[in-house]
Amino acid sequence: MTIDDKFSSIRKGLLEFLILKIIAADKVYVADIIERLSSTDFSTQEGTLYPLLSKLRREDLLDYEWKESEAGPPRKYYKLTAKGKAQLAELNRYWKHINATVQSLGPSS
Amino acid sequence: MKRVITISLNGNAYQLEESGYEAMRAYLDVASTRLKDNPDRDEIISDLEQAIAEKCGRFLGPNKTVVSTTEVERILAEMGPVDSPAADTGPAASPSGSASGGHADGAPKRLYQIKEGAMVSGVCNGFAAYFNVDVTLVRLVFVLLTLLTGGVWILVYLVMMFVIPRASTSEEHAAAHGQPFNASELIERAKKQYEDFRSSHNWRKAQTEWRGRLREQQRRWRHQQREWRRRWRDSWDWEGRSYWRAPVDRPPPSYATRVIAGFMIPVFAILSAALFVIWLVMLISLASTGSILGWHLPHDVPVWAGILILVLIYTAVSGPLHMARRASLYAASGRPYGWYGFGDGVIRLGFIVLFLWVAYHFVPGVHELIDRLPDLWQTVTHEATTTAMNWLN
Repeated sequence: MTIDDKFSSIRKGLLEFLILKIIAADKVYVADIIERLSSTDFSTQEGTLYPLLSKLRREDLLDYEWKESEAGPPRKYYKLTAKGKAQLAELNRYWKHINATVQSLGPSS
Repeated sequence: MKRVITISLNGNAYQLEESGYEAMRAYLDVASTRLKDNPDRDEIISDLEQAIAEKCGRFLGPNKTVVSTTEVERILAEMGPVDSPAADTGPAASPSGSASGGHADGAPKRLYQIKEGAMVSGVCNGFAAYFNVDVTLVRLVFVLLTLLTGGVWILVYLVMMFVIPRASTSEEHAAAHGQPFNASELIERAKKQYEDFRSSHNWRKAQTEWRGRLREQQRRWRHQQREWRRRWRDSWDWEGRSYWRAPVDRPPPSYATRVIAGFMIPVFAILSAALFVIWLVMLISLASTGSILGWHLPHDVPVWAGILILVLIYTAVSGPLHMARRASLYAASGRPYGWYGFGDGVIRLGFIVLFLWVAYHFVPGVHELIDRLPDLWQTVTHEATTTAMNWLN
């Protein structure tokens, strides 16, 4: 089992958090999200992203609006709802807490 | 030269090579199956279509209008497999979804006819797959049943040949085999279906609902029929290039539709045969005696006008029936022509002969009418020749 495999479920679990972070920074379009993540360890694909976004929207964490684009049909631009922002703040706190826990347990290198 | 398929993705038209189209359709089918329990399925599918469409746009330009198969494959690889987040986000996911079916891949098991390795039509093969037993055993049981019922089982077999849909796609083959057969699960399912039926319907309501559904279905078949004709024409483009407009928005007929359609094929064949025989007897009667089985035409209507009216009425009545037959053939077989069409023709012809025989022997008047046919023929030809001679002279 490679390192990559060992962390695969963690990466999967973190994806939602990262997407909320990206959307919080700016109104984005799905291709933007994929672009932002493509160079990271969290690179993902439409097949994963669309169902995830639809789940987040059902949970009322984000919403979208249609915007005209110069090339082709209108696009969905996503943004956080108030509930989404609140959840992101909570996730950020928790993430710091986990980080601190990882740091505090034993040697880190 | 390759065949090109025009599809509509989220409202825009794209042209794909045929095998590329197959790959894309398979991708979207799988996505649709995986998202089966997702309340936003349609929306996600349309999002995916738009994403694919945009990626297609990348490969197209003023001098390139067709997306090649390798390009479609690259696009689909970029899209990645569609996940269903409900399934892997742990305890938060809906518990009802996993409890209801118990099927690993979400496809319910269904009874199909399987042609591969079939001896007659694939009915036994389908049963073998459904119950997960050896096909020889099923065949033995069928032979035994035939012997025990004195041949009646052959009729049952014929009915099954029509009613049980044939597995033609890979998904249908998968559904035919489904999961390893498990008796308790089958009983559970049957119980649940019975409970559902009892709790949600009373009989009368179910009946009217069924009738309404059938009407709706017939309307749809007729529509499909027209669509088929149009596509048939389109696919034989005069240049030899064929543009096959893919019905992205119209799924193939459902299992239930195909069962009903298979059931309706013989019904329609019998109806159409009966109609034909009644019409034929009326026509002969009118031509030979000037009356339709005792009912005389009004004095000012000549016989030829009566015949014309009869022909018009027959056309008007048999037209929709014919359409319904063709549509149910298509719905049952998934193809416009082929084996089903042949079976349908044979059944219809058989019933025409049967009805004629019954009418000849049991309906008073018809016997004499048919016996008088040679005379009638002579009279008609004689009159026709004399009229023609008179007119020529």
